[in-house]
Parts: sequence; C-alpha cells; structure tokens
Amino acid sequence: MADLILFFGSNADTMIATKTLKDAGIAAKMIPKPASVNSASNLCLSIDGGAESQAKTALSGAGVALSGVVK
Amino acid sequence: MRFSLRVRLLGTIVGAIVFFFLVSVIATRVVLQHDLTQLGQTQVTNGGGAFQGYWDSRKEQIRLLVAQDAVSDALRKSLQSHNVAALADQLANNARTSGLSFLTVVDANGKVIARANGPAPGSLGGNALVARALTGETVSTATLLDQHVLAGEGLGPQAQADIKGADGKAAVEHLDRGIAIVAAAPISDQNERTIGAIYGGVLLNHYYDLVDQATAALGGASAILEGDAIVSSTIQQPDGTRTVDQQVLPAADVTKSATPYTGVDTEGGTQYLVHIDPILDDQQHVIGARWYGTPLANLNNIINHTTMTVLIWGVIAAIVALAFGVAVVQVLSNTLDRRSKQVRSAAKELGVAIIGSEVSGDHVAMTKAAAERSGRLIDELASQSGTSPKLAELKTVNDELQNDITVIDTLSQEMSSRMQHAANRVSELNEVAAALTQLVTGEAG
Repeated sequence: MADLILFFGSNADTMIATKTLKDAGIAAKMIPKPASVNSASNLCLSIDGGAESQAKTALSGAGVALSGVVK
Repeated sequence: MRFSLRVRLLGTIVGAIVFFFLVSVIATRVVLQHDLTQLGQTQVTNGGGAFQGYWDSRKEQIRLLVAQDAVSDALRKSLQSHNVAALADQLANNARTSGLSFLTVVDANGKVIARANGPAPGSLGGNALVARALTGETVSTATLLDQHVLAGEGLGPQAQADIKGADGKAAVEHLDRGIAIVAAAPISDQNERTIGAIYGGVLLNHYYDLVDQATAALGGASAILEGDAIVSSTIQQPDGTRTVDQQVLPAADVTKSATPYTGVDTEGGTQYLVHIDPILDDQQHVIGARWYGTPLANLNNIINHTTMTVLIWGVIAAIVALAFGVAVVQVLSNTLDRRSKQVRSAAKELGVAIIGSEVSGDHVAMTKAAAERSGRLIDELASQSGTSPKLAELKTVNDELQNDITVIDTLSQEMSSRMQHAANRVSELNEVAAALTQLVTGEAG
C-alpha cells in the first residue's frame, strides 16, 4: 500500500508524534516537508498507508493535533 | 551589612522572644503594682477601722470604769463625809487597778476634793465635761487636756515634748497639752441629788498600751497623733526605739480637713502604706489622728518576688525556645542550601549539554554541506559520462541521504533553539540559586 504523509503544526509536534507512533508500534519516517504541503513545520512523517487509522488513534490518544494527511 | 537568612531568622526569633518576655515582665509588674497597692490600701483602711475599734472600746471601758466609781458607796460616803485622805486612797487604788492616768473627785461646785495622783488643790468648774457631769450626765470623749489640768494631775511632764519635723531632725514646735480619753460621771447621794462628780481618763502622750495592743492584734504599726505630731506609736526607728514627738506630713491635711488619708508615708526611715483617721472630741473638733500602716516593703517584696519568678522562668523558657528555634533554623537553612547547590550543579551540567548541542549542530551543518556537494558531483558526472544504473542508484542514495540530513539539520536547529531557551531559563534558575545560597549562608556564590 502507498505511503501516507502526516503533517503537524510545528516541528515540536512532529517530534512528539514520531515518539508516539514509535511507542504504538507504527513505523514512521521523518522526512522534509514536501513543497506542495502548506504547513508551519519543516518536517513531516511518512507512514504505511494501511496504518492510517491506527496512527490517528494513537496520535489522538496522545493529544497530538494532526494538521493534515497527504496520500 | 547583609546578614544571612540563618542570622535573620535567629535574630527574629530572639527578638520575638525578648520582646514577648519584656512585655510579659513589665505587664506583670505593672498589674501587680496596681492590684497589690489597691489591696494594700484596702487592708490598711480595714486596719485603721480595727484600730478605731480598739480606740472606741477603750473609750467605752473608761466610761464604764468612771461610771462604776461614781456609784461606789465607799466613794460617796467619803465625799459626803469630806474624808479627803480616804477619798484619795480609794481614787489611787481604783486608778491603779483600772489603768487610768488620773481620777479626780470634785464637789457640786467643781472644786477638787481629792485626786488619785496627789493632794493638789484646784477647781474643774470651768471644765466642760465636769460641768456636764454635774448636771447628771455621764460623758466620755477624746479631748485635749490643757497645761492647767495636766499640772493639777501631775501629768505635765508626760505630755510636754519638743516636736521634731517630719524629717526627724530639728524641733519645730513644743507641746504643752496632752491628748486623752476621758470620762466624767455625776456622784449622787441616796436621794439622787448630785453632790459632786468623778473625772478620770488616760493621757495618751507617751502611753503605749493602746498602740501596743492594736499592733499585736493587727500587725503593721500604729500611732496616736496630737494634731499632726506622733505622741505614741509602735513605729520603730532604725535603732529599734519608738518614733514619737515627730510630725507626720500627711496628717496636717487630715487635721485641717477632717478627712481620712490613705497613701504612702515615710516614718523612721521606712516607707509605709498608711491610713490616717481624724480623732474628734465631743464638739466634733479635730484634735488628733490615728495612724495605722504596714511597711510598703511587704508589697514590694511580693512584687519583686513575683517579677523575679516570672523573670527566671521566662529566661528558662526563652533558652528552651531558642534552642528549639536554632535547631529548626539550622535544619531549614541546611536544606535550602543543599537544594540550592543541587540546582546550581544541575545548571552547570546543562551548560555542558548546550555546548555539546552547538558543537553537534555545527557538525550536522558541515555534513549537510558535504552531502550537497556530493549531489552536485554526481550531477556533474552524469552530465559528463551519461547516466549509468550505478550512478542513478548513487544519486537516489545521495538524495535520501540529503533528505535525512535535512531532517537531522532541522531537528538540530529545533533542539538548538529549545536548548537556548532552556539555557536562558537555567541561567535565571542559576541566579536564583546563587541568591538563595547567599541568602541562607551569607556567602557569595
């Protein structure tokens, strides 16, 4: 399944989201923000497309605000 | 000059204890002084009342003794028979057994028939009390006996005295008269016709039975004053003798205004809390005063003893409280000092971490520059010798490497920014810790 890009409001949120997903057992790779994505953060996360709902649940549980998802 | 927190806390505790202690002692002393003085004034007023009771009792006793003599058959018969020698013997016997200073019988005209103290002739016709007795009235009162009466009774020397001033030094007046409790009663024949009168009493000048009796029963000291001068007393001089023939300052007002005085008076070098009552004659004229007092030292001893007790126990309590306070302050200041040093130590370690972060950031920047340069070299190779599979794979790897380095650089900058922020906070914390250390120990950090 194709990768998804999760982006957040700040680099700090992106870092916290990385740790949260890692603790939830979801593989996430931190990458530079694509030029097409409009966000204040310079970084975003790339995850497997099949883990979207699991990732959203984990981020929601940890109180990390997700700014958007690019497929 | 700056003091450490330890010194300030201990100073505050010591100050509070000393302040509380002083206020307690002063308040105790003031309240005791006020209350005991009031109690003492009540006591001497009551003592003065009791002294008056002894006075009235003696006056009544003299009235009864004279009245008894007036109805004595032996005296009446001797008077009727004009047996002067027998009459004088009987009067002398009665006066001696009754404790009277003088006892005199006069005829119906007031002419002296016989005296207990000797065969001095004379007349008491002008004496108001004798005149009343000759009208059939039995009278008893305090009175002043003039020189004429005293001389007739042989009591002049007992009454005469040079009166010293209140300071006990120079003589300021001379007394010729004497203060006495007297009684007079009519002597009647079998037909109840007044044939004469009997007149007797006790001269109180230099007569100590009454004051000794009152002092023995009431304690303290007592005195009888003629005018404002002591003529009989139990007040002791420093050499153990009685204080007599001396003026009493507050008594002058008592004799002028006929109003009792309660307050402090110094006699014989001793301060007394006294009550002075005016002595009135049968015409309600002030002729002297009764003085009753207790040494002020009795009250002062109680006040001083209580104050000293409060002082001693207060010092003991203060020492115990101080020891407890010192221990508590020591523990608190040591804890604060230790915590403060921990904060400063942590701040120092964080400073090292910040330096490491900066150095690490510099290396990331250099690595990023190297990866970008590597990408440019790969592009140059591709343009010069064409695209080969290995070169394409190398470019892909280099692109991933650049992406990762970009991420690491971004993270590094983010961390550096946050580290800087934390460094500022820790710097503030370090200053607070240094100030805390100085506050607690007084030593500059």
